[in-house]
Amino acid sequence: MPTRDSIPPGTLDMLILKTLARHRPMHGFEIADVIQQISEEVLQVEEGSLYPALQRMLIKGWILGEWGKTSENRKARYYTLTRAGRKQLESELESYGRVNAAIARILETI
Amino acid sequence: MIISELFRRIGFLLRRRHRDADLAEEMQFHQDLRERRVRERGEAQGQDAAFSAQRRFGNTTLLKETSREMWGWRWLDDFTHDLRYAGRQLRSAPAFSVIVVATLALGIGANTAVFSAMNVILYRALPVHDPDRIVYLRTTRFPRGATQSGQTDSSFSYPAFEAMREQTSVFSDVIGFAPMGGGKSPVRVDGSPEQAEADMVTGNFFSGLGVSAQCGRTFSSTDETSHAGVTVLSYGYWQRRFGGDCKVVGETMVIRGVPMTIVGVAAPGFAGVERTRATDLWIPLQDRIEMPAWGGVAPDNMYRNPNYWWLMVIARLTPDANPQQALARLNPLFLRTAYQSLPEPKAADQKPVLSFETSRGISGLRRLYRESLLMMQSMVALVLLIACGNVAMLLTARNVARSREFGVRAALGGGRSRLFRQLVTESLLLVSCGAAMGWLLTVVASRALGAWFDLNQDFAPDRTVLLYTLSVSTAAALAFGLAPFRGVRRVTATSALRASSVTASSGRERMFVRKAVIAVQVAVCVVLLASAALLVRTLANLERADLGMRIEGLLVFGLSMEKAELTIEETEGFFGAALDRVRRLPGVQSATVTWLRLGDKNSSNTSVSIDGQPPPQGQDQPVRWNRVGSDFLATLGIPLLSGRDISVADTFTAPRVVVVNEAFAKRYFQGRDPLGHEISLSGPRNPRSVIVGVAANSKYTEVREAAIPMAYFSQQAFPLRTMHFEIRTAADPSGIWPEIRASMQEFAPGLPLLEPMTQSGQFARTIASERLFGRLALFFGLLSAVLIGTGVYGTLAYTVGRRTPEIGIRMALGARAGQVLGMVLRESLIVCAVGVVLGVPLALASTHFLESLLYGVTPADPAAFIAATAGILLVALFASLIIGRQCRITTNELDGHRCHHARLRRHLRSLRGPRPARLPRRILAQRL
Repeated sequence: MPTRDSIPPGTLDMLILKTLARHRPMHGFEIADVIQQISEEVLQVEEGSLYPALQRMLIKGWILGEWGKTSENRKARYYTLTRAGRKQLESELESYGRVNAAIARILETI
Repeated sequence: MIISELFRRIGFLLRRRHRDADLAEEMQFHQDLRERRVRERGEAQGQDAAFSAQRRFGNTTLLKETSREMWGWRWLDDFTHDLRYAGRQLRSAPAFSVIVVATLALGIGANTAVFSAMNVILYRALPVHDPDRIVYLRTTRFPRGATQSGQTDSSFSYPAFEAMREQTSVFSDVIGFAPMGGGKSPVRVDGSPEQAEADMVTGNFFSGLGVSAQCGRTFSSTDETSHAGVTVLSYGYWQRRFGGDCKVVGETMVIRGVPMTIVGVAAPGFAGVERTRATDLWIPLQDRIEMPAWGGVAPDNMYRNPNYWWLMVIARLTPDANPQQALARLNPLFLRTAYQSLPEPKAADQKPVLSFETSRGISGLRRLYRESLLMMQSMVALVLLIACGNVAMLLTARNVARSREFGVRAALGGGRSRLFRQLVTESLLLVSCGAAMGWLLTVVASRALGAWFDLNQDFAPDRTVLLYTLSVSTAAALAFGLAPFRGVRRVTATSALRASSVTASSGRERMFVRKAVIAVQVAVCVVLLASAALLVRTLANLERADLGMRIEGLLVFGLSMEKAELTIEETEGFFGAALDRVRRLPGVQSATVTWLRLGDKNSSNTSVSIDGQPPPQGQDQPVRWNRVGSDFLATLGIPLLSGRDISVADTFTAPRVVVVNEAFAKRYFQGRDPLGHEISLSGPRNPRSVIVGVAANSKYTEVREAAIPMAYFSQQAFPLRTMHFEIRTAADPSGIWPEIRASMQEFAPGLPLLEPMTQSGQFARTIASERLFGRLALFFGLLSAVLIGTGVYGTLAYTVGRRTPEIGIRMALGARAGQVLGMVLRESLIVCAVGVVLGVPLALASTHFLESLLYGVTPADPAAFIAATAGILLVALFASLIIGRQCRITTNELDGHRCHHARLRRHLRSLRGPRPARLPRRILAQRL
């Protein structure tokens, strides 16, 4: 069983937004699935944090939720990224990159 | 960004159920997919797959709640939930809720009602444009040598008024007004005689104040200069009498016998500037004999005479006028105008001083009632304090009883802050209900107050009063809402859930706080009761005051002649014949006429000359005088000290006579016999009259009047248009009035009887305010006593309930039931006694402020204080006795005890063995 680490706090939003940006509109299960797959099973999104995060982002207007049908004709809610969401994603990526570079520098020198 | 987010949040709130369903469905779908994935991967089969998916999801309810929290409406959810819970809690304890809400309603309602009266009388602005720039002109007096009609502090001469009018840098408008006739004027509309309150005003009355016309037009300056025969009706009068029909413009109305054309109706809400009476109609200043101001007889040319002071003045200050500076400039001018045809005043003379008075409130009443109202306001505030104390104790007691409930909530995971929020919501709910009921009470009470003050003012609560209610309610909520927290603070799950939550010492410090609260309440109540007692005694003194006349059986009414030009012969003939008729009516023992009605707060005051010489310096203050008919003293029952009464022989052709009173004789004759001397009113035209009698002092304008020199003349130099008839009868007034009316109708058809009433009723009007405040004070005193009683009762019930185990233990040790209860009751009485001891000095300090309102009692009157303390102690004793009876534990069995703890009862019964002997008091006093 590959090791599963928890998602670092504050990055869940970014991961969800990026997932939606890169791919087509998805419903909640798909988002969690994709994150898990792409991270090669390292990162697992807990349902307990996924749905609150989705609701929060809905309120903030970063994503839009629309009811649609799956391939099996089941009703599901598909999320898409809004323009505001795209902007938010960019800014979060930027700050994440900065923080990472800084951490990397510290780890290098010590 | 924020706005759109806010909109989204609101959207989520409004379509909440929809969103909830969405979320639930979404999560269910997710769970199904998870289950399928688990099955596909072979991690589990069948039911296990479902359970595994469920486990991954975790606590769905919590998840849903957490997700919903993101919407940001959690506080609203919590609040509505708290509110509903609080409602249920209160419904489950109806007695408690009703008592608390009723207590609050009384406290808040009383406060608001008194405040609304204060608002009308002291604060409310005139319903005119920009009322804060409107001021009344006031003077300290009129100059010696001048004559005055109306009220000393508000009457001005016409030349003085004109001088003010010229000061355009200070005043943008100067308006003059005067009531027509003392009392209502006779009017005829469509032939039927009626009375109406009429004012004469300058042309800029409406335009200067900023009152528009509802129908037709208002006055112009030409109306004034031409003394036009037009009239403007007030809105209220127009509604009442003319049905609110604008077609009334152009019709004719006969006012005091003079036909006038109705040219307009004033805007609603305006009823004149003298708010003690509501004006029905206005006419421009007139120059007719039948329409003198104040109903008297004007000396020659009241418009050019600087020595006749009669016109009241109200003015609008310019926007940048500074009142103090303006007065500094105006006063010298005012003095010059006042003395322009009088000799220069000497330095020692008291000269008239001009001042402004704000138009807020009701000027005539403000001085009169200001102190009384402030006192009333303090009293109701104290009552509210007591009420809040009661409510706080009730709430605390209740929360202690609910400690088990709190323990359960704590065990289930409820945080302390959540509990606080719950309690605060309950307090808020109680206060809101109390305030709502209090508001209803205010509306009712205001109407009653309005009727009482007889002001035709709208006493209904307005925005200011509403604001006041809200602030009072909030203060009350804060005062007692936080009280229960002390007890709740120390609640933990374990302590509350302990099966036997019985401790022998039962929170001694909480007991102390309770006792302190009651002691303070008792002290406050002593203050209230003492004040009430003083005011009630004042009222009793006023009502029984010796008026100097025999007032039982005296009736009075007025009659006014309509004809334009009148001669003395005509008026004498008319009133003489009328008097004859009245005297011959069955049931009438005697009758007389007077020019000014007694007990009407109006008087004529002039200086007099004795034997043709002006009185020496220091004795030339004005004398009050009246013109009276024959048998005056006899009819009124005023004792005659020497000489004789006015008799029928003193007709207008006979030599002029006058009767003076004791005070007059003392001031001007100091021991010499006044009979035979001649006096005349200052003013060269007034001829001399011979003093033929001296009467005892009696009250003239009002009950509280101090003795003042009086002269009753048999004749006047001028014909008098209106006279008041005084009738002494032994018959029942309601029986004799119809007869009088019929007789007068026969004699002078079309003339109404002006303000017919008993003379004692007329004087009673002058103490109307004392009566009101006396009764209100008594009501509040009693109310506070009742509150104290219920507070003491409630506390005792609670105490005995809490201390039942302690009582049981003492009894198991051998004390008898009666002794133990006696100990408990004694404690409560000691607390009350402490309260009284605190309260008496407090009351002494407070009643000092009442001094100006009292009559015949001192602020430290011992009888009042004894009554107050006795009252409180009686109430406390009464409450204690009721408790004693309810919780009586008979000596043979414990089951008479109606308080709680049945198990304890049985336990103790098993403990008790043979009946023990009576124990020394030491054991009773032993602290457990």
